[in-house]
Amino acid sequence: MFTPLDWISHVTNMLVGQAQTWVFVTLVQPVLYHFHWMVDDDFAYDGVLWFLAGLLQIILVYAVLRPLEALRPLEVWPDRRAVRVDVLYTLINRLGLVNLVLFFTLQPVVDGVQAWLRLRGIDNLNLDSLWPGVTDRPLVAFFIYLVVLDFAGYWYHRLQHQIQWWWELHAVHHSQRQLSFWADDRNHLLDVVLQAVFFAALALIIGVPPSQFVALSLLSGALQSLQHANTALSFGWLGERLLVSPRFHRLHHAVGYGHELGHQNNARLYGCNFGVLLPWWDILFRSADFTTALQPTGVRAQLPPPQGQGEDYGAGFWAQQVLGIARMLRRIGGTAASLRISA
Amino acid sequence: MRKLVWMVACFLLAHAGAARARDDVVVVLDSGDARITLIDQATRQPIGSFATGKEPHHLMATPDNRDLIVANAVGGDLLLLNPQTGKPIGSVPDIPDPYQIGFSPDHRWFVVNCLRLNRVDIYRYDQGRFLLARRIALKSLPSHMAFTADSKTVYVSLQDTNSVAAIDLPTQTVLWTMKVGDTPAGVWLTPGDKTLLVALTGSDAVVAVDPRTRTIVKRIVTGKAAHNFRSLADGRHVLVSNRVSDTISILDMDTLTKVGDITGLRPGPDDIELSADRRWLWVTFRFARSVGVIDMRTRQLVDVIPVGKSPHGLYFYDRAPFYDNLPPLSTLAHTAAAR
Repeated sequence: MFTPLDWISHVTNMLVGQAQTWVFVTLVQPVLYHFHWMVDDDFAYDGVLWFLAGLLQIILVYAVLRPLEALRPLEVWPDRRAVRVDVLYTLINRLGLVNLVLFFTLQPVVDGVQAWLRLRGIDNLNLDSLWPGVTDRPLVAFFIYLVVLDFAGYWYHRLQHQIQWWWELHAVHHSQRQLSFWADDRNHLLDVVLQAVFFAALALIIGVPPSQFVALSLLSGALQSLQHANTALSFGWLGERLLVSPRFHRLHHAVGYGHELGHQNNARLYGCNFGVLLPWWDILFRSADFTTALQPTGVRAQLPPPQGQGEDYGAGFWAQQVLGIARMLRRIGGTAASLRISA
Repeated sequence: MRKLVWMVACFLLAHAGAARARDDVVVVLDSGDARITLIDQATRQPIGSFATGKEPHHLMATPDNRDLIVANAVGGDLLLLNPQTGKPIGSVPDIPDPYQIGFSPDHRWFVVNCLRLNRVDIYRYDQGRFLLARRIALKSLPSHMAFTADSKTVYVSLQDTNSVAAIDLPTQTVLWTMKVGDTPAGVWLTPGDKTLLVALTGSDAVVAVDPRTRTIVKRIVTGKAAHNFRSLADGRHVLVSNRVSDTISILDMDTLTKVGDITGLRPGPDDIELSADRRWLWVTFRFARSVGVIDMRTRQLVDVIPVGKSPHGLYFYDRAPFYDNLPPLSTLAHTAAAR
């Protein structure tokens, strides 16, 4: 007998599946066949699903969050020009372009490493098989993987702020002073690659099934868009402690308070509120701040003197990418020089 | 302890309404969903669905026909089902990357094509136990396999290097490899092991290889993205699915010619099964989340049954003999038991 979950799955399969089939058969498969790329047709079929899911997610997020930002804005801006570049980041990330590049560049390496490990008897953990019949139930497994990946995400995020050269890349994300729901994907491409490699490897090690990885990515993406939204939306006292809210995350983006390396002018050393989806880790490791009043967002160095140094973080996509690399190299060079001096 | 956990798990699954006990089910592997869909063969309606391991792609019965083995490629294990009811009855852990699996006709060897890991693992099969004999690194993407009737050689297609490898089973060594064409997938031996047919998924043809001289003797145009074989069980004809042209071609193994096409199918026909009476041909549509039933009298698609994502392998108990160069597995098992 079918369970309700089975029926939901079948209805979803019908709707999504028809779109996936049409796009694949009409647009993708002929290209694969023509260019003798049929060896990757399974991957391409999955890629179409990523693309469609990303497109659907963007449409839904826009449909829900844009009116919310218009009706109940937290900050009122004269225009949304600064937000436009974040739309480009979102399209690049969520329509699967990054995944496509990573597949062709990193998948052979990942497979090779896995083959090497398997030959030496080192297997994946497959967390969902810990308790057959219980942990391998789709919803239970989904929750387990969500919590484990979120825990890893918390520490990954903390390191992005703590390791100086890494922070200079991550600062691309934080340099948006008009924080909107589009800002989640505003990241340096190198940072995106590092993050994708880390989480793909972790997912592989702990055994996240591919279908759940899609679902986890979609849920995570939608919630993170909400966190960045420019809206006065309260989750309430309890809700704020269960799920990262826009207020909680906006404080993480606060200039000189939520995220920066420096610890002057009342800034918190390495910041606060690092949680990706769950604020539990911030509470557990004492980095949560639920009380401080909201402040403007951005990076202190962007501000004109005397508050900052008036540093240019770039207005366009390529400027942000190039300047990010330049800052990273400067930081690495500075660290090397200081090490030489101290030696 | 592990066995106990499995018994409990199987009990829970069996009593959770996940799989109704029937003796005429069709087992479909939804490889993209990591699930199995069970279909009532008579009504052609889905009757259940349950989680298997990660990326189940192929399945086959054990030589004694007592268990149906589902190979979970990413899960790295084998799930054992009752072949008649589809109910889970056990598992075999630590079989890395079992993408495609096969028993040699004498039941001594269990061969695993590890597609992702670029290996062919050969196990000795001993009364239900799988004992690793050798791992053979083979670049790259080993996918399908075919055994000679004497169980001495297994031919493996290597999708990424456009070649086929011949492996000597007694010594577990690679005898030779040869280029055959763009993205080879299904491999098939004609009666008497005379000709090795190789389906080219990157092309529109099946190539006929003389394995003794290692030469391509003929190229048979079938349809775009020829992929997988299935015997028509008449000793003369074999079917091949064409994943891009959405057809199934009928090949004459004597003349090495195409003698017909089954058209009007859904996208991505892949694995094929034939009912024991040769009337109904079941096929998974890899890119259409469905399974089709073809009436072989009219060669028309008469039913489409929705299943999960990327349905790949399918199986039912009461089926026509699968191979052309070998007697049915059940007969072999009977002979082996008598010996």
